Amino acid sequence: MAGLDATVAVPTPPARGPRFAWVVFLIVPIIVFLAVFFLIPYANMVYMSFLVKPAEGAYLKQFTLENYGRTLGDPFYWRILRNTFWYSLLTTAITLVLGYPLAYHIARAPKRWRGWLLVLLISPLLVSVIVRSFGWMILLGRVGLINQLVKSYGGPELHLMYNAFGIIVGLVHVYLPFMALSIAGALQTISPDIERAARSLGASPWRAFWRVTWRLSLPGVFAGTLLVFVLAVSSYVIPILLGANNVLVMPMVIVQMLLDAFNWPLGSALAMVLFGFTVLLLWLYVKIMNRAMRWTAR
Amino acid sequence: MASITLRDLTKRFESLVAVDRLNLEIQEGELITLLGPSGCGKTTTLRMIGGFETPNEGDIYFGERPVTWLQPELRNIGIVFQNYALFPHMTVWENIAFGLEMRREAPAKLRQRVAAILAKVQLTGMERRYSHQLSGGQQQRVALARALVVNPAVLLLDEPLANLDAKLREEMRFYIRHLQREFGITTIYVTHDQAEAMVLADRIALMKDGRLQQLGSAEDIYRRPSNAWVAEFIGLSNLIRGTVAGRSDGQLSVRTTAGVFACAGEGATGDVVICVRPESLHFGQQHPNRIHGIVHERVFLGNLLDYQIDGPDGLRLRVQADPSRVFAPGTPVDVSFSSADAWVMRASGS
Repeated sequence: MAGLDATVAVPTPPARGPRFAWVVFLIVPIIVFLAVFFLIPYANMVYMSFLVKPAEGAYLKQFTLENYGRTLGDPFYWRILRNTFWYSLLTTAITLVLGYPLAYHIARAPKRWRGWLLVLLISPLLVSVIVRSFGWMILLGRVGLINQLVKSYGGPELHLMYNAFGIIVGLVHVYLPFMALSIAGALQTISPDIERAARSLGASPWRAFWRVTWRLSLPGVFAGTLLVFVLAVSSYVIPILLGANNVLVMPMVIVQMLLDAFNWPLGSALAMVLFGFTVLLLWLYVKIMNRAMRWTAR
Repeated sequence: MASITLRDLTKRFESLVAVDRLNLEIQEGELITLLGPSGCGKTTTLRMIGGFETPNEGDIYFGERPVTWLQPELRNIGIVFQNYALFPHMTVWENIAFGLEMRREAPAKLRQRVAAILAKVQLTGMERRYSHQLSGGQQQRVALARALVVNPAVLLLDEPLANLDAKLREEMRFYIRHLQREFGITTIYVTHDQAEAMVLADRIALMKDGRLQQLGSAEDIYRRPSNAWVAEFIGLSNLIRGTVAGRSDGQLSVRTTAGVFACAGEGATGDVVICVRPESLHFGQQHPNRIHGIVHERVFLGNLLDYQIDGPDGLRLRVQADPSRVFAPGTPVDVSFSSADAWVMRASGS
């Protein structure tokens, strides 16, 4: 391509200078922002994870692999890592199952309604996660609304909170809009005529969905699942509030390590391990999904 | 193959009546076009026949079989959409094989049928391409092949050529006509393009505001339009308003502000509209109905000259004549037309 371009005599546009300046002008702020508030702290954390934790003070500038050894050698951390991924996976699966029909109806709603339905869908995001978690506490608590109702019918007391169930309810509630939005975006690009074509060729509604609509919505499913999984893996407030300390997930342990135990090197190493395994899982997922979406490679 | 009968078919969307008591009988193997401006109900009609919309009233029959409430997948139809609606995640081969797969065709037979239809639409060698790797014309042919390979009872085409460029569109008209004849398949073709309708259709069903305006061959509709709207929608026309003053020898004499004209036609009484096509108006006084006017404008169209002539009482006439005689703008001229070329229609109520 480059060779081809070179053979064509393109007059250099005189506008290049000022235009280039504009691009730089527009892109520099975000680069500076990311560098200062993301890259540098992150690099610092990577660096920190290889340092020694002395008895006194935060860290010693001395290289060690001990933090990783402690993290990866301890079944306690493995269990928490597994829990974290398992809850995230469940959250992703449940938001997918609940979010897909929601997205489908939004995408297929009359145009003049669609905007309002989208506003309705994201309206829970207007309320902070903390407030919503307290809302769930009122519903799910030992003497919460649900338990009172069950009891009034003579039922047993249900343990709905301060366990994995409570965490997953909270996570699903918070991340459902992200899933539905991603899928609705993809579904909107699929012409209803494509489904009609499948039906006309003899496919039942279910087969038309499975063979055509579902496949074509995979880019949205991919984006949604990725987004929700990553958000769920790193969620901290909901597990704290709805799981108390009965259920541990990695972000909680990392924060405890950094703030309560004042062990910055080990906390950093834990964060790196979580990051590493998340990237590994995502890499596998991307590979699988790319195969399923081969047709999108243009 | 099957005939199609629509009986009092009606579809309402909230307060809008999209299709209003439509009655239509389409013979086995016939190609009929639903022609009309956008919003006339032609696409809604097609969707009801396909099973994608349910009518509020009325019935649809394929042959003797009522299909009004049948799911689309049970109707045995082939459909081609304006945007082709090819499955973008499937290759050409998979697209065409889809309908046969749904019918659980045996693999060997399936391969044979797909290969045969690919050859028929001249796409052999393109099997493994995706739709985005095809030109508009090729996508169009894949869509046709996909619809035809299952041997549908009825073929429905929804503005299938609207997205093609003018030259290809012209070619495809004849191609579709040829394919339809070869398969002998009952076909409903929706379009807003009258030239397309005239080239393709055995009969044209002209629709406006959900109502059938006229049903007939292209020639029928052109020569004997049922009302002024039809006359203006199909081809160019000179419409002259008047009242029936008398009748003799199967002819009507119609009084207008431009004179009294002898016209063909029997039944009409009262207020009428005379339709004279631009090529039926001749310079000179050789025909009994004469109008005197002044050339307003002249346009050269290659095979003919297109004149606008100012007649009496604000009447603007369109005359298309062969270029052998030329009249400059401002020239006073006589134009005349025979009574056989003057078609009388009832003036519509509105």
